[in-house]
Amino acid sequence: MNWTIAPTILPILTALICLVWGQPRRARRVLVAASATLQLAVALFLVVKTYGGEAFVVGLGNWSSGLGIILVIDLLSAIMIALSTLIALASIIYGYFEMSRKVEHPLRLPLVQFLVAGINLSFSTGDLFNLFVAFEIMLIASYALLTLEADDWDIKHAFPYFAINLVGSTLFICGAGMAYALFGSLNFAEISVRAAEMSADPRVLALALLFLVIFGIKAGLFPLYFWLPNSYPTLPAPLAALYAGMLTKVGVYVLLRFFGTVMPHDLHFAHQLLAWLAGATMLLAVIGAISRNFIRGILSFHILSQIGFMVLAIGFFTPLSIAASIFYIVHHIVVKASLFLIGGVALCLNRSDNLNRMGNLWRDFPFLGILFLCQALSLAGLPPLSGFWGKYLIVVAGLDQQAYVLVGISIIASVLTLFSMLKIWNAAFWHTSDEVTVASGDKRARPMTAVVAVLASISLFIGLGAELFFSISKKAAEQTLDQSRYIELVRSYPGKGTGDR
Amino acid sequence: MQIETAILVGILFGCATYMILQTSFVRILFGFVILSNAANLLVLSMSGDPTGKSAPIVRDPNALMVDPLPQALILTAIVIGFGMTAYLVLLLYRLFLDQKTTNAAEMYAETEQEH
Amino acid sequence: MNAPNSFIFQAVVRLIFFLINIFAVYLLQRGHNWPGGGFIAGLATAISLILLSLGIGLKSLHRIMKIDPARIAFTGLTIAVLIGVAPVLFGHAFLEHFSVHFQSPILGEVHIGTALLFDSGVYLVVVGIAAKIIFVLAKSTQGLGGLVREEQRRYSSVRERPIEEDAPDEQMEPESRERKQ
Repeated sequence: MNWTIAPTILPILTALICLVWGQPRRARRVLVAASATLQLAVALFLVVKTYGGEAFVVGLGNWSSGLGIILVIDLLSAIMIALSTLIALASIIYGYFEMSRKVEHPLRLPLVQFLVAGINLSFSTGDLFNLFVAFEIMLIASYALLTLEADDWDIKHAFPYFAINLVGSTLFICGAGMAYALFGSLNFAEISVRAAEMSADPRVLALALLFLVIFGIKAGLFPLYFWLPNSYPTLPAPLAALYAGMLTKVGVYVLLRFFGTVMPHDLHFAHQLLAWLAGATMLLAVIGAISRNFIRGILSFHILSQIGFMVLAIGFFTPLSIAASIFYIVHHIVVKASLFLIGGVALCLNRSDNLNRMGNLWRDFPFLGILFLCQALSLAGLPPLSGFWGKYLIVVAGLDQQAYVLVGISIIASVLTLFSMLKIWNAAFWHTSDEVTVASGDKRARPMTAVVAVLASISLFIGLGAELFFSISKKAAEQTLDQSRYIELVRSYPGKGTGDR
Repeated sequence: MQIETAILVGILFGCATYMILQTSFVRILFGFVILSNAANLLVLSMSGDPTGKSAPIVRDPNALMVDPLPQALILTAIVIGFGMTAYLVLLLYRLFLDQKTTNAAEMYAETEQEH
Repeated sequence: MNAPNSFIFQAVVRLIFFLINIFAVYLLQRGHNWPGGGFIAGLATAISLILLSLGIGLKSLHRIMKIDPARIAFTGLTIAVLIGVAPVLFGHAFLEHFSVHFQSPILGEVHIGTALLFDSGVYLVVVGIAAKIIFVLAKSTQGLGGLVREEQRRYSSVRERPIEEDAPDEQMEPESRERKQ
């Protein structure tokens, strides 16, 4: 049995069972949680297998790579799938504690499962148009979730999210069509063969820049990020964690895959552009974060600023910096999701996440404060937490490239990150005031904090066991950059019509 | 034929961009519809000139065949565009009910003060 | 949509409903090797449903159909996914299809395969989704609630209002609706 399709098909099956079977909600919740755990187990199995050098390839309908759609899971894909299933599991469990069965929207769980399916498909696909389809599955589920429980204010901010992503999708169709016209194939491996032959052709660079715009919209790069900081805060905390953790990171993953595996490695102009856009993103976004005055708003801007770090590392484009980027993605997804969840707990305790109306949390819930401090300092990059190692590696890679200005920008952005995190800390946790009440009797707070604690301990583990995680990232980076291995992998798939190419 | 298609695609993209940048909901809606059609036409024209090509399954060198793959891509894109348009219609309708306006500029006018 | 007061229109619509559906089945089965297939057949059937709703009115169509179109779509999607997954369990690739070709006494040459089952799933999805979209839109512009009462219980949470609550049949008045909060 071939496991390649499992991360995509398990969530879809779960969602369908939920939709068709419908009513008894307790059984449904148990089913979804069990399925999410199973998905995580499968994803970890894939990571272990691919770390051992194996790779999972399947052609849909058993067609070979020149003719059909190919799905490939190598180490990078497996890592990303493991992260997405981990965050999905955490957010589903957290959602159970946050919201009682009766209030929960019946379509929420199926839609979350479709979202995970779309995310996992875009991680495992090896075909440009299939990637578009995966994006659409993911985006349609995300539009629906964004407006499912929205009130007047929320729905107003869902519209720009929808509009910009619709434009992005349209550009993606155009880009895929042009790539097909230029290379005669939509398969990543075939494109990479043909692009390498014609890498001096200016059309290759033009196409790469078009895709930079398309994936930049998904990832939230500098001139294209204005949709994000307004729309994400309208989501309930567990969904915001899933969105913040995974959706933009799909964009980063695709940038990695596209520039690392598909395109020829000598597109220096595109890499330079990526690096400078990343620099602008991290600086402007962190300034935006300082201007916000509610927790989810600040955190939403921080997503962008951190995206800047990952993309900066892609822009340096050395094996070390790609490894650093992968390490940073791993660290960031866990930390960012748990920060959103902590924000959710704080919102639940203070009944508000406007910093002016918060306080007393350290006095009444010191454990939550410790978790927040741990994750916030990790985000800012203080040793020995996981963020420090990620940033350290990126700075080292940048100094190797003598990109002193960009390294300087990244350090300034880190300091400003620390500042805005301390702003939350001061206002929500440290600040004591008689006007603010803490709902200590709220039974939901403890189990919700427990979920966050599990995520925080994972992130702590990443920080303390950085050696192990860096060796995994290094291996993933090697596999990502090794185009000939990828091509060999895809072409050797023994499907129907192998001899016809 | 290629040149005419290219010009048509350009005109459609121009119209779509213009319409999307308007403030009225209905124009935005039509803008997006035209945009997806423009993209489909662009992909359709990517199959190129059929002379001298043959389909991978039909091995007859005399059979004149247009590359079918872009058409398959368009079919997928049309299906997705259909769903998107339906969603957009309902979203705009809901916005109209909630915000009591069909003008995007009015709707976002006082957003800044809210937060 | 209320039924129009025209006998001819109603009679013709009932006839055309069956004709379109026969054509849809034809499109569905020829999709294996020729232009056609689940998507286009589903659209044809959805159009026939829309025509029927114009002819006899949405309310009586709901009475006849009894089943929620979204449920048809879920069933279809389940069929399609299961057909896709089944080969994986037997060690084949995802979505791999098998077909047989034989001579039968009455039908002559028959070519039948699992792709037809997959296509029927697609057909049901398209019928369900297209009908659902059109019905919801049609009802909401008529001032009816977008979802019928059972659907409201199934699809809307406590926090959410239906698209348009208990609006009377006359023209709707957005101003009179109270805002949330």
